[in-house]
Amino acid sequence: MRFILRRLGFYLIAFWVSITLNFLLPRFMPGDPVSRMFARTQDRMQPEQIEHLRKLLGVDDRPLWEQYVGYLHNMLTGQMGVSISRFPAPVTEVIGSQVGWTLLLGGTALVIAAVVGNLLGILAAWRRGGAVDSALPPLLIFIGSFPYFWLAMGALYLFGVTLGWFPIRHAFSDTIEPSFSWAFVSDVGMHLVLPALTIVLVSIGGWMLGMRNTMIATNAEDYITMAEAKGLRPGRIMFRYAARNAMLPSVTAFGMSLGFVVGGAMLTEVVFAYPGVGYQLLAAVQGLDYPLMQGLFLTITAAVLLANFLVDILYVRLDPRVRSN
Amino acid sequence: MTQQRFLRSARITAASLAVGALLLTGCAANQGTTGATGGSSESALLTIPREDMGTFVQNFNPFAPTVNPMVQQAIYESLLIFNPVKGDTTPWLATEWQAADDGKSITFTLRDGVKWSDGKPLVADDVAYTFDLQKKIKGGFEYLETVTADGANKVTFSFNKPWSPALYDLGQLTILPKHIWSALADPGKDANAKPVGTGPYTEVDSFQAQSFVLKKNPNYWQPEKQKIAGIKMLAFAGNDGANLAAANGDVDWAPQYMPNIEKTFISKDKEHRQYWFPATGATINWQLNTTKAPFNDVDVRKALSMAVDRDQVTKIGMSGYAKPADCTGLSGNYETWKNKEVQDNCDWTKLDVDAAGKLLDKAGYAMGADGKRTLKDGKPFEFKISVGASSSDWLSVANVISQNLAEIGVTAKVDSPDWASVVAGYETGDFDSGIVWSANDPSPYKYFNNAMGTASVKPVGTKTFDNYHRFGDAKADALLAEFAVGADETKQRDIANKLQERYNDVAPLVPLFSGPVWGAFNDTRFTGWPTEENPYATLSDRAPTTVLVLTSLEPRK
Repeated sequence: MRFILRRLGFYLIAFWVSITLNFLLPRFMPGDPVSRMFARTQDRMQPEQIEHLRKLLGVDDRPLWEQYVGYLHNMLTGQMGVSISRFPAPVTEVIGSQVGWTLLLGGTALVIAAVVGNLLGILAAWRRGGAVDSALPPLLIFIGSFPYFWLAMGALYLFGVTLGWFPIRHAFSDTIEPSFSWAFVSDVGMHLVLPALTIVLVSIGGWMLGMRNTMIATNAEDYITMAEAKGLRPGRIMFRYAARNAMLPSVTAFGMSLGFVVGGAMLTEVVFAYPGVGYQLLAAVQGLDYPLMQGLFLTITAAVLLANFLVDILYVRLDPRVRSN
Repeated sequence: MTQQRFLRSARITAASLAVGALLLTGCAANQGTTGATGGSSESALLTIPREDMGTFVQNFNPFAPTVNPMVQQAIYESLLIFNPVKGDTTPWLATEWQAADDGKSITFTLRDGVKWSDGKPLVADDVAYTFDLQKKIKGGFEYLETVTADGANKVTFSFNKPWSPALYDLGQLTILPKHIWSALADPGKDANAKPVGTGPYTEVDSFQAQSFVLKKNPNYWQPEKQKIAGIKMLAFAGNDGANLAAANGDVDWAPQYMPNIEKTFISKDKEHRQYWFPATGATINWQLNTTKAPFNDVDVRKALSMAVDRDQVTKIGMSGYAKPADCTGLSGNYETWKNKEVQDNCDWTKLDVDAAGKLLDKAGYAMGADGKRTLKDGKPFEFKISVGASSSDWLSVANVISQNLAEIGVTAKVDSPDWASVVAGYETGDFDSGIVWSANDPSPYKYFNNAMGTASVKPVGTKTFDNYHRFGDAKADALLAEFAVGADETKQRDIANKLQERYNDVAPLVPLFSGPVWGAFNDTRFTGWPTEENPYATLSDRAPTTVLVLTSLEPRK
């Protein structure tokens, strides 16, 4: 329990540091959101309107520390303000209406890539030099080193446009109303295939290689030899003895990736016109939309920290050595 | 449209990549037969992609700076509509207008029988209220003193000075219903999720983050023109996705930039697909910071301009879609205003490397033995051209200019940080030169005021939001003041001619080309599109003329 409390304290400090960075970073970027917006709509707005716009958008010109105090207060009370680039929609609404799709897409792809990748890694290490071990790693690394944009466009064109197997845009058909019906769920599933598949393809190689390499090291340990000498079933040795110990780095990696799912699928969202927050983050940065940037950073930070905290707890269960210090 | 410039150009690279991929994988696919998904053509929705919004938020507030698509085109309407291609004006919510002889007021007469989509009649009070609200929330209209409703159908705008550019300024603002907006606690920040407007398509239907539908206004004032069942907007986070949808025949209208459009779009169904890019966008200028030497010298500005190969600039930078500028500086938007004499005797916007060199020699910027020129203080003739890194098209423009200038011994380095810092430099006057777009209005007043009016010239270090090149000319000021009084059109054209002569004399900036207005369509399901032969509107879906397209299209029988 003390371990968990200590970790919790650490996470609180990490959280404070990161929300402070979230506050400072956008403000160190050159320019301000209003003149940014003005420059974009040059032929539509009059220079005299800038002051009004500043007031309308609620762009702060208070001293930095006052803004900071207000910001901390807002963060603690969950008020993220109004988005500038999607004005006057509140930040929570902009993020809330889209983050679900990002989580669905990123989460599905991550789970598939991690589970399949790790299993392949275990198999490859267990049968070193076999078919899986010699053919798959170079192939997967080859695919993984493709520029993602290229791979996604290619998959979209081949399976979406030419063969017509999968829909080419959005999270569900425009002709169907969202509901918990089989028709809608299967429609969402069909729309998920291509974007998730491309993410899995580029990331699976990393999982497989990582697992394979630690497994090989583990397989050389004395307790594996001992287990074999005892005549245990190979399957039991592979999963209970070797894989369980080799899994620790993968668990860490999974925890970190889980956090980045929130902000990570930007290119996928662009290529497959998938509704989500990844592209929104780019737009927010380009438009110097402080509130939306802060909201998204906060969401990502919180997700990363939460995921790491969960991994920490899981670690205690998996690796007894962590408990002792 | 130059609106959303940053995001749009950021995507041109992406779009080109995408199209490259398409070309490589072979273009033999579906022959646009998938277009008619969604029932018979009678009930089909006019489907339009929106390429710069990855997702939609249910917010139909016209005061939002990045307003949802179609709010100011299909939901709310304005008093009149100006069509830049033909240079004519269509009365819309107003049937006629009368400017006072002293140029200090305009009276509009509203159309009879116009109703809001909730059935209440449009009255003069709505117009007056809209302008009060606009001034309160978004400012602008500094010349506007009072707006008075006179009975139900007349409204008079009074100015604090004679001001002829007001007609289009006032006439093109979309009008809101007072009975709805006056009941809101904070109209500037209300989401206005269920808008009430006078436009042809007002009823929001099946709203999703990735698409939404607008259905017919049940009380539209010209029901015979609501021939399409509704409009469906699709969200895309970039041109590439929108272009793919267009190439695949999934959308009826493609108002976004498409590289190599003949091959990627038209060739798949020549019978039904067309594009048209009239040069009625803003003029794209190369602005030289005239507070710095040698750009304060008119001969230098003209010589640099003469060294620029505009054909190459438009071909390489704009895929050949743009039209090179001439000595009037005016884009295709002002075709009817152009001074033929200035155009015919134009020299400094035509490529002439020898003349450029001679002009620089004469002005005292001699060519050294190494083929490089020096400034009067002996320093090398070197400067930067600043362009945002994301605008790949304008970067090519700057690179072409840089190469062109090398031929006359001038070194121009292309400097491309993020747009934010480029614009910050423009605003404070801390830059050498940059590629900038200009104001684009029905009347050429704003263009010349921003190019050479002294009122907008701010000292270096003080922020300015137009006239980045900081050039002011007293003679131009006098002409501008006279132009603003307006009243008599022949006289106004005469002053516009003189303004162009002055522009031609002082060369306040270097005009490069008229920006094209993108637009393409697929008439498999709907006919009646504007074309070069029938230019009743542009093919933009964000222009005031868009409502003309929406009320002209009909389903194919």
